[in-house]
Amino acid sequence: MSLKVETRQVNGISVVTCHGRIVLGEEAAGLRETLKKVLASSRQVVLNLAGVDYIDSSGLGTLVGVYSSARAGGADIKLTGVGQRLRDVLQITKLVTVFEVYDTEQEALASFDRSRK
Amino acid sequence: MSFQTIVNPPPESSSGVFPTLVFVQGNEQRIINLDHSPFSVGRKVDKDLVIADPRVSRDHALIVSENGQFSVVDQGSKHGTFVNGERIQQKNLERNDRLEFGVREVAYVIFNPLHGTTNSAREFLSQISGMHISDETTDLEKLILFLEAARKLNTVGVLDEILMTLLDVTLKLTRAERAYVFMKNEQGELRLAAGRNSKSEPLLEDTTISHSILEDALKSNSEFVLTDTSRSLDLTGRKSIVAYDLRTVICVPLRKPQVQTTRDTDSPAPAIAAEAMGALYVDSRFASRDISGVSNDILHAIATEAASLIENARLVQAEESSRRYQQELSIAASIQQRLMAVTIPEVPFARLSGRNLSCKEIGGDFFDAVNTDAGLTVVLADVSGKGVSAALLASTLQGMIYSQLTAGMPLTDIVTAVNRFFTAKHIGEKYATVLIARVSDAGQLEYVNCGHIPPLVVSAGKVERPSDANLPVGLLPDAKYESAHYQLKTGDRLVLVTDGVTEAENAKGDFFEDSRLEVAAQIGGLEDIFAAISDFCCGTPLSDDCTVVELVYTG
Repeated sequence: MSLKVETRQVNGISVVTCHGRIVLGEEAAGLRETLKKVLASSRQVVLNLAGVDYIDSSGLGTLVGVYSSARAGGADIKLTGVGQRLRDVLQITKLVTVFEVYDTEQEALASFDRSRK
Repeated sequence: MSFQTIVNPPPESSSGVFPTLVFVQGNEQRIINLDHSPFSVGRKVDKDLVIADPRVSRDHALIVSENGQFSVVDQGSKHGTFVNGERIQQKNLERNDRLEFGVREVAYVIFNPLHGTTNSAREFLSQISGMHISDETTDLEKLILFLEAARKLNTVGVLDEILMTLLDVTLKLTRAERAYVFMKNEQGELRLAAGRNSKSEPLLEDTTISHSILEDALKSNSEFVLTDTSRSLDLTGRKSIVAYDLRTVICVPLRKPQVQTTRDTDSPAPAIAAEAMGALYVDSRFASRDISGVSNDILHAIATEAASLIENARLVQAEESSRRYQQELSIAASIQQRLMAVTIPEVPFARLSGRNLSCKEIGGDFFDAVNTDAGLTVVLADVSGKGVSAALLASTLQGMIYSQLTAGMPLTDIVTAVNRFFTAKHIGEKYATVLIARVSDAGQLEYVNCGHIPPLVVSAGKVERPSDANLPVGLLPDAKYESAHYQLKTGDRLVLVTDGVTEAENAKGDFFEDSRLEVAAQIGGLEDIFAAISDFCCGTPLSDDCTVVELVYTG
């Protein structure tokens, strides 16, 4: 499996960090399972993709799928560390209008603080 | 068409262990294993064989087995039970008897007990087990010879023959009355796989088999369980032993060998820890012979060899079914290819060409072209993922878009409907990027891009990338779609690609990228683009389908 996923807590917000490729198969499935588990206990998730060098169409489908079910369950996932390639893909697919994308993890975390107030 | 013959079910679908019924209704034919008795026939849905015809009574007839002899018994049906055209109340059945229940001709059953006499694998096995071996050869050595030979006989469908011959040999060696093999099914329940008596007649599941001993044997770690009921006092709960006078029961759990067991019978017991996949069960009654004196060596040999033998046979079968599965897949691929074969419409104002370079797996790319009054419409789509599921979705998508295009629906309505359809079906995380472009005879280009790679418009040697985009279809139910417009001049070229092109990789792991695509499209047409991809990849196999479509507006 060429994807490593780590989860840590920052001020009550779950930060999920990915390293590797998010592609069809056990990588996409593994990420989905991790995010599902995280969402079971946390409504605020920052997904840091800085270490991700490639996402294929299935990986993107997984992201949108988890994102939609999180939103439906009253939770929110914010993206950060989005590289140029993924940024292009999000642009082409207009998904940039769906996800909230932040340049840095601090900004993503701070956005939750703002929404709390 | 030519694939008709491949799709047909394999002719050898009867198990051979149990007698079979061939049920013929109209053009359909079904083989049913007679693995229990009584076997009920009627119109009621709980019957073993349900014949849905008003002339068949609810409880029409039973097929029963007694001492290996099968007979059919009419249950007071209104329109009667017939054997070979003769109305009967009860009749013993012979091979190839024709049974009719109320309804004549339209539906009938051929009673076809047991495996054919020309079963070569079985004949071969029995020849081995009965072969001339010098008198000094002990029964045990014979058994091992037989098992060795059977192991080498990796013939398809040989499992049933191996089971029966194993039972025959076991009966011969143990001098027991009855022998059965039980195998666990996927749910872990023990199911009878084969049964034989000492006259080599087939046996069905029977209430006189001691299931409690079977369960014990499976739970225990021992190689075999030998129960001499005359010496055992604790018979509480062992109903069949008491009721049927069972004297000796031998039960050998069949365990998947974890390590290659050695042929040397002096070696210690095989891997014990492995879970049992079934059990060999042998018994005799009080009234008949005592088999408690059966040599431990023989039981040991049976226990160590039988499981690996069956496992081998199973592996052969698994291989065969995986081969068949592969065949089905290639049929699916060829159907997919035919669906994707596009007849390119001839129009006076444009020239259209398209080419798809498939990677090994079935993919989810497709392109289509439809000519209507509004103009020439080109569809290019890429379903996420690969394999049969992607291909299925692509075919559905293609059909939906095609029919709505020919019905003259606006492009945005088409993708909105398709998106609603796919999101309503909850097809998981699968989605598709779609680009539909329509060119009128006056060169007006309208296109709706749903998450697809932006089209390339090559005009006067320059490449433009109109970037108007929408969400892919199938991801979000309330997505809104808008189309964009562009005026083509005579000689302008519209180039559409799937991401297999821009993400074609070379050996270093670099992608072909938009930049190379733009350069290639600027210089030449379809063939030049493919040549550029193949130069770039330099032999690295494609990991995704590559589709390129080019439309030249000729004015």
